[in-house]
Amino acid sequence: MATPGPVALLIEDELPMRRFLRTALEGHGFQVVEAATAREGLSHAAARNPDVILLDLGLPDRDGREAIGDLRGVTRAPIIVISARGQEQEKVELLDRGADDYLTKPFGAAELLARIRVGLRHASRSPESLDEPVLLGGGIRVDAVRRQVFRDDDEVHLTPTEYKLLATLVRHAGRVLTHRQLLEQVWGTNYVKQTHYLRVYMAQLRHKLEHDATRPRVLLTEPGIGYRLLEREPP
Amino acid sequence: MKPRVVRSESDEYLKAAGIVMVATVACLALRSRLASIDVVMILLLGVVAAAATHRRGPALVASLLSIAAFDLLFVPPYGTFNVFDTAYYLTFGVMLLVALTMSGLTSRIREQREAAAQRERHTSALYAMETDLAAAPDLEAVRTEASRHLGKLVGGRGWILLTDTPGDPNAPALPEEPVFDDAEVRVAAASAWTHQEPAGWGTPRGREVPVLFAPLLAGGATIGFAAVAPDDAEHDLPRADRETLSAMFALAAHAIERRQLAKVGEHARREIEAERLRTALLSSLSHDLRTPLAGIEGSASTLLDQTVTLGSAVQRELLESIIAESRRMTRLVGNLLDMVRVETGTLAVRKSWQPLEEPLGVALLRMEARLAEHPVTTRLPSDLPMVPIDELLIEQVFLNLLENAVRYTPPGTAITITAWPEAEGVTAEVADSGPGVRPGDEEAMFERFRRGPSASLGAADAGAGAGLGLTICRGIIRAHGGRIWIEPGSAGGTVIRFHLPGVNVPEGIPTVEAVTG
Repeated sequence: MATPGPVALLIEDELPMRRFLRTALEGHGFQVVEAATAREGLSHAAARNPDVILLDLGLPDRDGREAIGDLRGVTRAPIIVISARGQEQEKVELLDRGADDYLTKPFGAAELLARIRVGLRHASRSPESLDEPVLLGGGIRVDAVRRQVFRDDDEVHLTPTEYKLLATLVRHAGRVLTHRQLLEQVWGTNYVKQTHYLRVYMAQLRHKLEHDATRPRVLLTEPGIGYRLLEREPP
Repeated sequence: MKPRVVRSESDEYLKAAGIVMVATVACLALRSRLASIDVVMILLLGVVAAAATHRRGPALVASLLSIAAFDLLFVPPYGTFNVFDTAYYLTFGVMLLVALTMSGLTSRIREQREAAAQRERHTSALYAMETDLAAAPDLEAVRTEASRHLGKLVGGRGWILLTDTPGDPNAPALPEEPVFDDAEVRVAAASAWTHQEPAGWGTPRGREVPVLFAPLLAGGATIGFAAVAPDDAEHDLPRADRETLSAMFALAAHAIERRQLAKVGEHARREIEAERLRTALLSSLSHDLRTPLAGIEGSASTLLDQTVTLGSAVQRELLESIIAESRRMTRLVGNLLDMVRVETGTLAVRKSWQPLEEPLGVALLRMEARLAEHPVTTRLPSDLPMVPIDELLIEQVFLNLLENAVRYTPPGTAITITAWPEAEGVTAEVADSGPGVRPGDEEAMFERFRRGPSASLGAADAGAGAGLGLTICRGIIRAHGGRIWIEPGSAGGTVIRFHLPGVNVPEGIPTVEAVTG
C-alpha cells in the first residue's frame, strides 16, 4: 500500500462546495478532513495535524480574522482562504494576519491544486533556500548567488531595489504577497503605506523582464491584493 | 411708513371753526350792503366749505357755530340768541341739513378714496409677494421670501414654520428665538394649531400676545404656521392690513404646497425609474440566468442518463459546455451586481495611484481565452503617468469593453488598446474593427439594457451581458471623476474612449529616471 497522502482540512459550510473540494482533492491523493464550522475546523486542526487548510470566508460561527487567529494558534500548516470577488479588503487583512494564499470563487480544480502545491512546497522548505539558479517563465533566470538576472540568456541589469523586489517574489514563488508584505520586506516597516513605490518598481521590473509589460506572464497583479510571481508559464 | 389717514381731530375742529369765523367776519364787514338772505348764503358757503373738507363732526360744529353766529349777530334782537321771527328757525334747519348732507357726501367720497388707496397697497403688497414667491428656486427660498413679506407688512418680523412632513399632526417646532421664549406666545401657537385659526396678536385668542400665529392650509391639511411679530405690538393692525395679511398667509401656503408637490413629483419620478430598473433586472435575471442554467442542467442530466451511451468526445463536449455556461453566469451575476451598485450609488471606490497597465494586464489575462480569435495590440507609452484609480473597477471597465469588442465584431478582427497622457490625467481607448456604431447612436449605447446587434456568436451568446457593460463602465468612470464616450466618426470599428483625471500627483513618487538611474 502506498504511503498515505497529505492531510487537507476543509473548513466550509456549504455542502456542494465541500463535495467539489473533496472530490478534487481525493482524486489527487489527499486525505480529506471536513468541517462545517470554524469551531469544528479548529478542533480538527489541533487533532489531525493537517498539511494544508482550506478556509472559507463567511462561516456561520466565526469571523475570518478570528478563525485565522485561532488556527494559527494550533498549526503552522499553510492556510488557503476561499472567498468571493469583492472581499479584497478582507482578503488582504487575512493574508497580512497569517493566511498563505487565497482562491476567489468560482475556481477550477486546476487552480485549487496549484495553490495547494505551492503552499505545501513553501511549508516544507525554508524560504531562503535560493542557492541554485531559479528558472522562471518567459525565459527568466535568477541566479541568487551571483545576484544576476537573465532573460533569454541576456543579462538584465536591475537596480538594487528592483533586485530585492524580484528576489522577494522569487523566494515566495507561486504565492501571493500583499502590497504591505512586499513593502515591508523590500523597503522596511516605515514604508508599508507607500503603495505607489511598489507599483512604480513593479512596472519597471515588468518593462525589463516581461516580453509585453501590459500582458505580464510572470509578474502577475492580484488586483486589490498584491502581486504573485508565477514559476512557470501555465501549460 | 404708512400715510396718515386720520388727521388729528382737534385740528379738524379748529379748521372748521376757522372757516366759520372767516365767513362771519366777511359778513360783518359787508353787513351794510348785505340783505339777511345774503348773510345766510355766505354763512352756508362756509358750512359747505367746512363740510366738504372735513368729516361729520367738524361739519356739524361748523354748522352749529354758523347758526349761533347768525342768530347772535344778524338776527334781531342782536347780541342774544333770541329769535323774533320764527321763520329763521327754517333757516337754521336748512343750514344744519346742508352741513349734514355735505359732510355725509364728502366723508363717503373720502372713505372711498381711502379704500381705493388701501386696495392699491393691498394689491401691490400681494403682487410683490407673489412675484418673489414664484421666482424662489426652492422651498427654502419660498420660506425666506414669504417671511420677509409678512414681516414687512406688519413692520416687524415674519416666519414660516413647516411640519416635517405635510399632514403631520404635530405642530412644527418654534425657532430658538427670544420672541418665542414666552409661555403666552407658546400658548397662542398651540391654540392656533389646535383650533386651526389665527391666534395671538390682535385676535380674540390672545390679543395681548406680541406674536400672531396663523395655520397654513394646503390641500385640506395643515402644513405649518405663519408667525408675525410686529416691532410695536401695542399698535393694532388696521382691518384692511389684516385682510392683506390673511391673503399673504394663503399665498404662502399655496406656494409651499406647490413646491412640496414638485418634490413629491420628483420623488415619484425616481420611484418609477427605480421600478424600471427592478423590472429590467428581473427580466434579465429570469431570461439571461435561466438560459445558462438550462444548459448546465441539460448537459449534466445527459451525462447522468444511464440509458444512453455517450462517446468520450460527446461527454467532454457536454462538460465543456457546463463550464462555459457557468462562466457566463458568473460574468452575468457580476455585471448585475455592479449595475445595482452603480445605480444605487453604493459603488465603493478605493483609489490609489498606479499605472493603467496593471488593471489592463489583469483584464487581458482574464479575457485570454475569449480573446483567442482576436489579435490584440496594446500601445501604452512606458512613461504614461500614474492615475488614482480603483484597480478592480478599472479592470472591470477594460473587461466590459473587451467583452463588447469580442461580442460585436467578427472573429479575426483586431482590437487595439491605446493610452496617452492628456489634460492632467490619462485617456485610454479600446478600438475594435467591427461594424461600428451608427452615427447618432453613440450616447444611447450607454443606456442600460441596450444591446448592439450581436455579430459573432448568434443566439447562443446573445444576452450574455444583458446590455449592461457600457452603463457600468460609465458609472465606474464617473465615480472616478472621469468621462467615457464613443469616439464618433472613426473609420471602421467602434472606438470607446475614457479619460481619468490625475491631478495633484502625490509627493515622493519616484520618477522613472530615479528608478533606472
